Amino acid sequence: MAIELDDAAAVTKARTGDLDAYEVLVVRYTAPAHRAAVLLGAGADADDVVQEAFVKAYRQISRYRGESGFRPWLLAIVANETRNLHRSRRRRDGLLLRAAAQEGPEPTSPDPADSALAVERRQHLVDQIRLLDPRDREVLVCRFLLDLSEAETAVTLGLPKGTVKSRTARALKKLRDRLHVGEVPNA
Amino acid sequence: MPDYQDEALIAELRALGSQLDVPEPADQRTVIRARLTRPRHRLRLWVISIVAAVAGTVGAVAPARAAVIDAVDGLLRVAGIEIRREPPSGGLPAQPSPMPSLRSADLNEARRVAPFPIRLPTTLGEPGQVLLADPDPAGAPRVITVTYRGETVRFDQFDGAVSLAFFKSAAAAEWVEIGTNSGIWLPGPHPVTYVGRDGIEHTETARLAGPTLIWLDGAVTYRLEGLKTLEEARTVALSVK
Repeated sequence: MAIELDDAAAVTKARTGDLDAYEVLVVRYTAPAHRAAVLLGAGADADDVVQEAFVKAYRQISRYRGESGFRPWLLAIVANETRNLHRSRRRRDGLLLRAAAQEGPEPTSPDPADSALAVERRQHLVDQIRLLDPRDREVLVCRFLLDLSEAETAVTLGLPKGTVKSRTARALKKLRDRLHVGEVPNA
Repeated sequence: MPDYQDEALIAELRALGSQLDVPEPADQRTVIRARLTRPRHRLRLWVISIVAAVAGTVGAVAPARAAVIDAVDGLLRVAGIEIRREPPSGGLPAQPSPMPSLRSADLNEARRVAPFPIRLPTTLGEPGQVLLADPDPAGAPRVITVTYRGETVRFDQFDGAVSLAFFKSAAAAEWVEIGTNSGIWLPGPHPVTYVGRDGIEHTETARLAGPTLIWLDGAVTYRLEGLKTLEEARTVALSVK
């Protein structure tokens, strides 16, 4: 392909049934969609969620309005599929962030971020995030772990922007409270 | 200084996001393209591991789909019932438990406590048992079952707009028209599991069900089990009033 299609052009072509154009979007957004699915708790089913999301997105593409960009629109489908996965599979706490548990210090790296203490602290943080109410967790995952804007988070989670703002504040407070329990302050 | 603490925590969360070890995504271009080029109106049989619940879910993307029948490849849904097109996994309990808080009642009481008008087929003769299952805190049962012909035929009705209530695995299933409503006919025996109000599958209720016709009329989902042919089941379904 000589010319790289931008999202809007790819969507326009995909609407007319151009599967090559749609594949541009599939290639571009498979990794972010997969990452979102994993962090939102799809665990080992993340690839299935991504596949389903791309199939659904194509079939609903006439409903795509374009104000928010293709990525959050797709992520909204990913988030929804992930929730549904939990609902029917009793994996309410999911496999969220299990990946983090496998992390260890890089033997070759002297980076202080990889010190045993830092790893422990990270694991503690992950554990506390997992214990949050799913609604609080989702908003923190979107805003900070996936680094989405408030507007993108709103689209992804299907919430009004104001709710994202207030829920983020609430979730941060709850997480901070959790982290402060049983922990040396300013560690 | 709460603001400062928030800032610090946010920075830590952002750092965590970049440090997490997420597995490589699969390259699904071929699979996705194949799924998108297949004709949609035909019923397909293949295994899929994605499972999504229907109806009443607050999805941002699929409001129009609530409480309607939907077929997402490999997965058939009638409001409140989901059918996975895959061979059942694992065995069934030898002695399946009944649905939660099941009790018998007479028809008048059932009509009084049901959250929707109870309708019954007129061609099956006199009702046998009337069973109410899984009541809400106010006592309204979620599923109402009426048996006929010495318990060989079972007629369930429930508010399909609420949430997933039964989960079935079936290798064969077909779309059918019941008057102006769409439904699904499962010609062979298949496992069925009750899914509670909380969305949790009650595996202990898993049992092998006989041929079953499922359809949605208004907001109520009907499930008719035990008639051997689709013609017979359809006749009974059309007599429901």
